[in-house]
Amino acid sequence: MADNAGVRRVPSYCYNCVAGPDFMKVKVENGVATEIEPNFDAEHVHPARGRVCVKAYGLVQKTYNPERVRTPMKRTNPKKGRNEDPGFVPISWDEALDLVAEKLAAARAKGLIDESGLPRLAVSLGHGGTPSNYMGTFPAFLAAWGPVDYSFGSGQGVKCVHSEHLYGEFWHRAFTVAADTPHCRYNIAVGANVDVTGGPCAVIRHADARVRGYKRVQVEPHLSTTGACSSEWVPIRPKTDPAFLFALIHVLVKEHGLAKLDVPFLRDRTASPYLVGPDGLYLRDPASGKPLVWDEASANAVPHDTPGAVPAVAGSFRVARAVSVDADDEHREHRDVDGVTAYEMLARHIGKYTPEWAEGVCDVKASTIRRIANEYLEAASIGETITIDGQVLPLRPVAVTLGKSVNNGWGAYECCWARTVLAVLVGALENPGGLLGTTVRLNKTRDNRHLSVAPGEDGFMVQYFNPTSKEEWQTTPATRNLHQTLVPIVGNNGAWSQALGPTQLAWMFQGERPDDWSLPMPTLPDVWLVYRSNPSISFWDTRHLADVVAKFPFMACFAYTVDETNHMADVLLPEATDLESEQMIRVGGTKYMEQFWDHKGVALRQKAVEPQGEARDFTWIATELARRSGLLDKYVSAINKGVAGVAPLKGDGYDFSLAGEPSPERIWDAVCRAATLTLSEGREEHGIDWYREHGFYTVPISRLEWYLTPTLARQGLRYELPYQERLLRTGRELGRRMHESSMNWWNKQLAEYQALPEWHDVPAHWIRNLEKSGAKAADFPFWLLTTKSMQYHAGGNAAIAMMGEIAQNVRGHTGVIINADTAANLGIADGDRIEVRSHIGATYGRATLVQGVRPDTLVIIGQFDHWATPYAKDLGMPSLNTIAPMSLDLTDATGSGADIVCVAVRRVEAMAA
Amino acid sequence: MSIPARSVERIAPRRQGNWDWRAAGNFIAGGGGGGLLANAAMLAVWLGLDARPPLVVGLVMIGIGLTCVWFEIGRPWRAMNVFRHFGSSWMTREAYVALLAMCAGVVAIAHGTLPAVIATGLLGLMFMYAQGRILAANKGIPAWRHPRCLPLVLATGLAEGAALLALAAWGASWWRHPAALLVVFCLWRLWAWRRYFAALRSDGAPSGTIEAFGGIATMFVWAGNAVPAGLAVVAMLITLPWLAALAGILALASGWWMKYTLVCQAAFTQGFALPKQPVRGKGRAGPAVKPGWQWSSWLMR
Amino acid sequence: MKRYAMVIDLRRCVGCQTCTAACKSANATPPGVQWRRVLDLESGEFPDVRRSFVPVACMHCANPPCEEVCPTTATKKRADGLVTIDYDICIGCANCIMACPYDARSIVHEPRYAYGSRPIASEAARADSQRIGVATKCTFCKDRIDLAERTGQVPGRDHEVTPACVNSCISGAMHFGDVLDPESNVARLLADNESFRMHEELGTAPSVHYLLDRR
Repeated sequence: MADNAGVRRVPSYCYNCVAGPDFMKVKVENGVATEIEPNFDAEHVHPARGRVCVKAYGLVQKTYNPERVRTPMKRTNPKKGRNEDPGFVPISWDEALDLVAEKLAAARAKGLIDESGLPRLAVSLGHGGTPSNYMGTFPAFLAAWGPVDYSFGSGQGVKCVHSEHLYGEFWHRAFTVAADTPHCRYNIAVGANVDVTGGPCAVIRHADARVRGYKRVQVEPHLSTTGACSSEWVPIRPKTDPAFLFALIHVLVKEHGLAKLDVPFLRDRTASPYLVGPDGLYLRDPASGKPLVWDEASANAVPHDTPGAVPAVAGSFRVARAVSVDADDEHREHRDVDGVTAYEMLARHIGKYTPEWAEGVCDVKASTIRRIANEYLEAASIGETITIDGQVLPLRPVAVTLGKSVNNGWGAYECCWARTVLAVLVGALENPGGLLGTTVRLNKTRDNRHLSVAPGEDGFMVQYFNPTSKEEWQTTPATRNLHQTLVPIVGNNGAWSQALGPTQLAWMFQGERPDDWSLPMPTLPDVWLVYRSNPSISFWDTRHLADVVAKFPFMACFAYTVDETNHMADVLLPEATDLESEQMIRVGGTKYMEQFWDHKGVALRQKAVEPQGEARDFTWIATELARRSGLLDKYVSAINKGVAGVAPLKGDGYDFSLAGEPSPERIWDAVCRAATLTLSEGREEHGIDWYREHGFYTVPISRLEWYLTPTLARQGLRYELPYQERLLRTGRELGRRMHESSMNWWNKQLAEYQALPEWHDVPAHWIRNLEKSGAKAADFPFWLLTTKSMQYHAGGNAAIAMMGEIAQNVRGHTGVIINADTAANLGIADGDRIEVRSHIGATYGRATLVQGVRPDTLVIIGQFDHWATPYAKDLGMPSLNTIAPMSLDLTDATGSGADIVCVAVRRVEAMAA
Repeated sequence: MSIPARSVERIAPRRQGNWDWRAAGNFIAGGGGGGLLANAAMLAVWLGLDARPPLVVGLVMIGIGLTCVWFEIGRPWRAMNVFRHFGSSWMTREAYVALLAMCAGVVAIAHGTLPAVIATGLLGLMFMYAQGRILAANKGIPAWRHPRCLPLVLATGLAEGAALLALAAWGASWWRHPAALLVVFCLWRLWAWRRYFAALRSDGAPSGTIEAFGGIATMFVWAGNAVPAGLAVVAMLITLPWLAALAGILALASGWWMKYTLVCQAAFTQGFALPKQPVRGKGRAGPAVKPGWQWSSWLMR
Repeated sequence: MKRYAMVIDLRRCVGCQTCTAACKSANATPPGVQWRRVLDLESGEFPDVRRSFVPVACMHCANPPCEEVCPTTATKKRADGLVTIDYDICIGCANCIMACPYDARSIVHEPRYAYGSRPIASEAARADSQRIGVATKCTFCKDRIDLAERTGQVPGRDHEVTPACVNSCISGAMHFGDVLDPESNVARLLADNESFRMHEELGTAPSVHYLLDRR
């Protein structure tokens, strides 16, 4: 890699945000990192052609930022608070690690679980799982420790595409959902800002699609970057997206009718033919308990998997005998009843949601809604096929994608359901061109969702639900966000299920619990470790949240700079950052956003330059902590099992198992070898030196990996759509359990467990919330939303000067985006400093007057309003997070909220001439 | 580093930030000085005036102007490089003209001969012309490249020169001659200004330019030209020399203020424009867009 | 004979500023100086609003007003189309900045650093006093073009000799090459698509073409 004397180009990856990983090279001149460049060696395997996005170019400044924490630090001021100077003093690594290990040992001595049944160790990691791409073998340390509480979230999960994570994975193994962009012809994007957050892989694909002539309709209250790059912008009223989507379904089902839809798909791959009885539950075969369908061939009601049956998709049929199974396994007998197919139930249900009705709710013209639905149906090209790797598959090049604040919080269930139904109606779900899931996190076999497809109940995929039966319901929550107690479909897949639980409840319930709380009192964890996470900036009601943080008895933060969260820490540990450390990760296959490749493999991040100051590689830190905590054997054993995230170190025909106290280099060398052997199926073995030179290794995969429907078809399974019978039952059970414990505080959320979601006044939740606090809705007449920019999507770079400079080129990045006419009416000129106030607080920024936003809506880009992070705290940029409340009222059944709040706005200072 | 608070500043024309009062000083002092040389030469021919004092002042003013520039450039110790591009650069040519004017002026001052005075006067005229051409070649500033800017620069230089002489002539016997020149050049300047400003508005110019000039228009038209011309006429009619001197002050100050506005306040950049906006997938191209511009006639070509 | 040009497909650009950052990274421009940046242009009235993203920098005009006005010959136009600045001759008079209708040039009179008054290691490693007090602008990554002359590689096709911004573009909007070669990507893109050049009516003959739509 040494080109000229003193110049090296070091291959690495960037995975700072969920849109990664992407490849890059670090130019190092005489030991100093000077430039970031693409890595064109990866051009032919990486969908983004070896390129990284704007953020990665800031990594040089990130490395040399003079405000970095360069040595471990210890707090000397015992008082914690926003206005308390922590009095951090530098200490040695020995002292720092001993301090942390001591606290851990003390906690361990008392028992890993405390008197409330909660783990004494809590860990908070940031943005969408990306910290695990930088924390070396730390997951192995956590695995060695035992139970950990990941409940104290920082905005990921509940503030992310939360309901999509849960329902997506439930319905089609889609922890995240994307359009099959390379084949897509029509994409309805409801708040999905893919050209900002999709990363280089999504950006190139959508750009190619534009040139190819696809149509993307952006349905969003403001003209985001993605909206700007779309064929059409539909400025929908905030939080009324369910109405829009329901009306689209109406047009397809009621105005076009079943004959125009993908009948074979509905009949064979979904539960559309399942007969629903008068009690709203499936009519089941009395003998086998299997849901019944009406066989047109024999004119009889038969179990759904009867060979040779031709199930009717639409219609109502008389069923002589059946049983239904309600909550708590209550069986009910039915004789001579009308069994209505699930599709027919849908058709009846959707009848009232006409485009004309929707117009009154969402402020989109009925004619527009109808036209879009017609265009969608036409573009779906039902009947067309495509050959992929020798297999002939249906081609259905349409997709409805959703964004944050549409697919989380109230209304999200409705939206996730509606857009998935829109996919099944035209056979686009998990078929070429259509709506695809990209990975799983709540089900096992993380990196191959096909392996998570196995027969479960009722002809659907197996799906683990947290138990809601009397015997097994978790009355003593194992986490502070009560995820297994409150959210059945979040599963129990370790850290992931926890992180996807209602993480705001962990914060809220430290302060106040509902009056009818009958669960154990939530305690504070004895030890809290934080990495790449700043909840005091990135969650809601951040000023108050910082006060809660101040109460934690012992916090150790892996710190890049001081920030609003580690301001309350007891110990700061500087880990070696992106260009200073080494780790191998998996790449390729199918992953978040639009990272679905035609290859899969591994990539190495390596040390391009020496760490600044005393920063140390995370793997070294993890090993030290393990040793000092007496967990070294368990730690190494976890690494051997593959907990470092890539491959087990022992497998068929190879054994690189480690023992004793291996150095980081030895660990990663073993991982490199194991990974290569696994990927190449025994053909090749490469150690760390090879990877330091080449950067990555991949093998081809079939594009068939992208599509789940063929896998279901092979196993004769159906998608659990459109009728949510299981969710209905589960909700009833959960309700019974809560009421048996005399708790009614989750009742609103329980009402969301509907088999076919109804429209309810979603925006009213926010209005009622502010009225409940004593405020008047008329005093807060605007909606405040937030949106992202590519320069800052992932937060950790708020302190990077270059990002601040170039982000100013994006309109609105100076402060608050406001409609020009609205501003004129309020006497606000472009550049004036304005106050945006909710019923819980105010945030301040400069007004940017635009036409591309609804008159009733304001938008703030990113999450700023820093008060401690160097550089960021002087930007004077506002944040929705400061003024959006955390509230049970604003939490939906999956536990998520949304980034929206009612606000008032006024000028505070005219722009200097 | 200050970040522009208004997003419009990054796309629409913005006020240029590189030439400040020092560059304006070159046009003010230099242009006035060139005009003084020309006027002095005219009077030397017309009534045999001893042009040496005004020549000295004129050359000093040109020198002051160039010194202002010297203080503004990034690499002042390389200033001699300015002579290297005679082939196309009016800034190089201005430097040569200044040099020649200095030489001719030294000769004229030393020997007082009329041909040397005329030569100096002509070089003074050429100096103003070169300055006007410098502005005209700067395509990045619509207000400067407009074809009617150069005549205005010439007219004001001559008016300023006449004004300086009218001031100098107060108490002298020959005060009527500079007063007469002042009337002529003020009227010319008024005509040139009106044509210039009207053309900017109808041909199109950055809104900031229109606003800045609009802010001085009334003052310039009346206090800068009509009133001084009137005062000078009255002064000649009723023999009030001090009135002519007053006219000179008004004409001079307003000319300098107009030049400062031209070089600094009204000097907005071109900005950016699209003749059409791109298609994004399906649909039609969007309309033309040219933020920050104003025009009263037809849309952007 | 070669003539280098850039083609930027406005249908693709998402305004991400990756090219802005890549240029700063490759050329170590000081804070506040962006040789390339992407404009974010909104037009229309709610709800008929458009927003376009337009990468701009020096257009390397065939008829460069900056070259005409430069008093020192520091600015020159090469036969291959690049407009260059010889920093050692430039006196920093800013005449070229006034001449350029594309806001492409700038002068910085003293060193500037990202974090306060002292350079960080990467800034110190690349500090260049030559570029203080003189005009600077996009060079089409001249060093890479010159390298191509020596190695025979093809700018626009071979990454090592292609401008950093073009290399970095994640949407595939930016292209570079010899417009006189009918087989080059730029020539073919111009043949197949409707395009325009910025401020063409000023007679500068820019070498940067923007694509709008298929023909």
